[in-house]
Amino acid sequence: MMTEKLIHPMIEDYAEYLKDESRSVGEAESISFPQSEEEVRAIMKEVYAKGEKITIQGARTGLAAAAVPHGGHIMNLMKLNKTLSMREDENGKFYVTVEPGTILSQLKKSIESRKFNTTDWSDDAKKTFIRFAQAPEQLLTPDPTESSAAIGGLVACNASGARSYLYGPTRGRVTALRIVLTDGDVIDVKRGETFAKGRELTLTTEGGRTINVQLPTYQLPKTKNASGYYVDDDMDAIDLFIGSDGTLGVITQVELELLPMPATIWGVTCFFTKETEAVKFVDEVRNNITRLASLEFFDGKALALLRKQKAESTAFAQLPVIDPSYDSAVYTEIQCDTDDEAKERLFAIGEAMERCGGSEENTWVARNASERDILYFFRHATPESVNMTIDRRKKIDPIITKLGSDMSVPDKYLAEVIDMYNKTIEEEGLEAVKFGHIGNNHLHVNILPRSGEEYKRGKELFKKWAAKVTEMGGAVSAEHGVGKLKADFLMIMYGEDHIKEMAELKAAFDPKGTIGTGNLFTPIVKGGAF
Amino acid sequence: MGRIVIDPAKCMGCGACVRTCTAGALSMNESDEAKNRLHRIAVIDAGLCTLCSSCVSGCKFDAIKMETEKAAVTDYHGVMVFAEQTEGEFLPVAFELLGKGRELSDDLNVKLMATYFTAKTTDEEINKEAAALIKAGADTVFAVKENEKAVKLEESFAERICAIVEREKPEILLTGATMFGRSLAPRVAANLKTGLTADCTVLNIDKETGLLQQTRPAFGGNLMATIICPKNRPQMATVRPGIMIASQKDETRKGEVVIENTEASSVAGIEILEAVKAAKTESIKDAKIIIDCGRGIGSKKNLKMVKELCEKLGAAYGCSRPLVDTGMCEYPHQVGQTGCTVAPDLLITLGVSGAIQHLAGISNAKKIIAVNTDPDAPIFTAAHVKIVADCMDVVKDMLANI
Amino acid sequence: MKYIVCIKQVPSTNEVRLDPETHAIIRDGRQSVINPFDLYAVELAKRLKEKTGGTLTALSMGIPATERLLREAVSRGADDAVLLTDRAFAGSDTLATSYAISLGVKAVGGADLILCGKMAVDGDTAQIGPELAETLGIHHVTDVCEVLDITEKDITVKKLTEAGTVTLKVSFPAVITVVKDIVQPGLPSIAGVRKSMDAPFTVFTAAEASADTARTGFAGSPTNVVKTFTPEGRTEAVPVAASDAAEFILNAIKEVR
Repeated sequence: MMTEKLIHPMIEDYAEYLKDESRSVGEAESISFPQSEEEVRAIMKEVYAKGEKITIQGARTGLAAAAVPHGGHIMNLMKLNKTLSMREDENGKFYVTVEPGTILSQLKKSIESRKFNTTDWSDDAKKTFIRFAQAPEQLLTPDPTESSAAIGGLVACNASGARSYLYGPTRGRVTALRIVLTDGDVIDVKRGETFAKGRELTLTTEGGRTINVQLPTYQLPKTKNASGYYVDDDMDAIDLFIGSDGTLGVITQVELELLPMPATIWGVTCFFTKETEAVKFVDEVRNNITRLASLEFFDGKALALLRKQKAESTAFAQLPVIDPSYDSAVYTEIQCDTDDEAKERLFAIGEAMERCGGSEENTWVARNASERDILYFFRHATPESVNMTIDRRKKIDPIITKLGSDMSVPDKYLAEVIDMYNKTIEEEGLEAVKFGHIGNNHLHVNILPRSGEEYKRGKELFKKWAAKVTEMGGAVSAEHGVGKLKADFLMIMYGEDHIKEMAELKAAFDPKGTIGTGNLFTPIVKGGAF
Repeated sequence: MGRIVIDPAKCMGCGACVRTCTAGALSMNESDEAKNRLHRIAVIDAGLCTLCSSCVSGCKFDAIKMETEKAAVTDYHGVMVFAEQTEGEFLPVAFELLGKGRELSDDLNVKLMATYFTAKTTDEEINKEAAALIKAGADTVFAVKENEKAVKLEESFAERICAIVEREKPEILLTGATMFGRSLAPRVAANLKTGLTADCTVLNIDKETGLLQQTRPAFGGNLMATIICPKNRPQMATVRPGIMIASQKDETRKGEVVIENTEASSVAGIEILEAVKAAKTESIKDAKIIIDCGRGIGSKKNLKMVKELCEKLGAAYGCSRPLVDTGMCEYPHQVGQTGCTVAPDLLITLGVSGAIQHLAGISNAKKIIAVNTDPDAPIFTAAHVKIVADCMDVVKDMLANI
Repeated sequence: MKYIVCIKQVPSTNEVRLDPETHAIIRDGRQSVINPFDLYAVELAKRLKEKTGGTLTALSMGIPATERLLREAVSRGADDAVLLTDRAFAGSDTLATSYAISLGVKAVGGADLILCGKMAVDGDTAQIGPELAETLGIHHVTDVCEVLDITEKDITVKKLTEAGTVTLKVSFPAVITVVKDIVQPGLPSIAGVRKSMDAPFTVFTAAEASADTARTGFAGSPTNVVKTFTPEGRTEAVPVAASDAAEFILNAIKEVR
């Protein structure tokens, strides 16, 4: 295949492809927008042979700069965005196969409205689609806060979201992948077909090549985790690629499992006048109330920021009024089969609030999709407000970018880790907001530097936290992936020996070390290992 | 022959009518059936009633009516349109209704009437004004003298329209689905106890039955419904402005102008305090026409040209996030997920690639014309009109041709 | 002061889905919701009641399951709820519906101010408010965007018109229909949900509401739907040549202005 027309030199028009939502900016010499797997293979083969670095991109909504290029070529997959097929298993479960550039919100909308372009589908897939259209509503569980993310990106960083508290991260829903390798060959891997023996994994490509992989020997933390390659004894081969941060190959197809939509979904945001009450409440409900889909936290600073945004910015005028007495909030979602059951749980939540010093009056209950959208908007507005603040501060000093933590700890350390965040932020005199997935003890602490100096101190503070969190048995990246921004935390978490094992694993797929350069590995190790 | 009809829904059971009845025909219902009701109601013994009508004026609740034998459906002939004015000028929809009305009345072989309210006082002025409606297709124009105030009040309009309808008996009555029309027509329909179809986009006569088929969107435009009104007259519809086509003005057309001097019974208890004309919309949120710029416009110099174009066209200018990020545009102009959600009648995008966050902000635009050099740009999936071109060339062309 | 807020139950989405095989319209299995425009009316009524004192009744005509949504209106600030439900009401068009609602208003002893949403998102007619007012023989104001003052006797409102706004003072009893964003509806609290479960809820049949059944339901509806169909799907963008672009756009602007 001729690749001349596919590979474009980087000109000013493509400037936006040098950055992502992490607000960091990279550099590149060329860019491509392949529209088929065949094109991906051709480009990969050619660019890899030349020894150029290749950064694989989706919707660039990531927060760890995994899509930010460090020189070389950018392969942007947003034009590889078709829904290819659908199948139904013997239990009536549906699976949908999409290309990596498919946007999550659009896929969800298609699933909800049962609208897919099935023109090019196989006859079997078309028949399945008819059954799907007649079946009760289906749910695609991954729900990262940024719903304009691409499916390929979701898989590459093993994204989670609020509902991961109940459903787990993206990993559990991925049932098949196709991955284009550096030589243009393809691995087609289906869940339940290929397993490691202990920590040794053998894969066969479509071209007939055998790849032997020695899996690293570390144990993954027993918390929510998206830090480094997923490894385990006798693991399923597909899990290696999920969360591999664009360092092993290019995902060209993803099959996702759908679940039946629960009949009743109620969201409720519970407000407290003290942060300690909110934290106590979290322990209270997660021990006593089952099938809550999510537990999300907003601290007092986050609420203050939202009040300010609502007053100042048209995009946030629709936020509900947040009473000035509220100092923190917990969002939780009830999923069950009947309204009566939901009511029972809702009242149980109310009672738990009262036990923790809160009041049932200080709640927002959302009992249908449009009401829930208000609460999701509220949730989404929090990081958006942080981003807008950062963008303003960047004008003070261009060094300033987003400083958002993504660390999780085991249940018993929740109060302790929050205490640590509060104390150290106060000691450093920094401005910060805490919000996120408190059900998994996984808060995003976002520092809002007011100067370049504060930015540097914030960055140092993150390293201290990474060490502390590792001591507690936690993970340095629980959902955003490691990308480039957290590669040094990964070193803190696993240590140099294990990072070297990871580098050897990568070399089995990418002997030149040019795919996703800078992701997962700090420059030091990269130099040492390759 | 008429008869006295008591509306059990309006009757409050006060018994005042019983005392006014000269023939002893009225009594308060104490029967078994009444136990199911909330209160007693008046009943009339038609055998005793002399149709003196003293009870009609005696009822404080407007529950008693003298009903003249209802005119049969076949007594209604002709098409009538309500020609709305604002500040002494006919709205375009008035002529659109006449265009459609002409077509319907030709199909039915009946005459086309127009009713309107005029602020003019002399017959000469009124005749001159009404001639515009005749030229646009009306055979007869009823011009109601409206010597009240500039602001239209539904109740007083409805009362006089109903009187004309009851007298002229048109089989069809069309009103523009303007904000006023959609408030006025239901009042008229409820008074005449006839059917009303809202916001129609297609009207035609069923050749077999001669009934008006009224087609309208529902479910936010996701479903169309065709509706008829077989047994009641007139068949009423409000018609969406801008859909029907006004007929060519015929300067030679002749018609009759009837000047209506009936005063409305004064509408007590509703008082107009102030009417304010909307200032030119500053915010893009409420703008009717938006020119929405993306990275493709290039330089800040080009933006100046776009702004000049907006000014000349009376359009607001919006922009995508990259233009705000780079400091070319101000945040209040940003369209999209983190900017403003807009809903103009017409949105023209210039060099907007169509990131999903941007598309989220423009999905409520009624019509989108997209200009971009990349034929595969995602913006074209959301657009109604696709123009593959350098947007600045188009801007220059437009500036040269205004 | 007595307030009534009228609510309608509507499908949770306006999307019309067709069975790919039979092309019949499929109703999604989701529960219906309170017409979004009515939520503004509920919120406004709640705030007016807080200001003047009095009672707020939520009123609807519909199937028995509408009880859930009327109770939701209570959780959002109404004191009690009334449902008109009867087979005799089935198939009502706007004239028959406004007649039925007028009976409901009378059944609860009338009201000073009746609030409705501007229109329902499923029918898009915007006719119930004015037809209800005419049937009751009282004043109405549509498209109210702001309440400037309220007293024992009257209410001063600003309404939207095509040209701008008009401020009116209307004496009670009256019907107003409110536009989106007149107030920002809040969400109910858990305490509100609890309260709504025990709140007074009254059902009226056609007979109990003294209905003349010749004026209710299908029999009392002058209009009949004879055909429904989905409009032609959204087709791809129409291409216009670059050379004609400027003229085309200028014409399009003329059309909407």
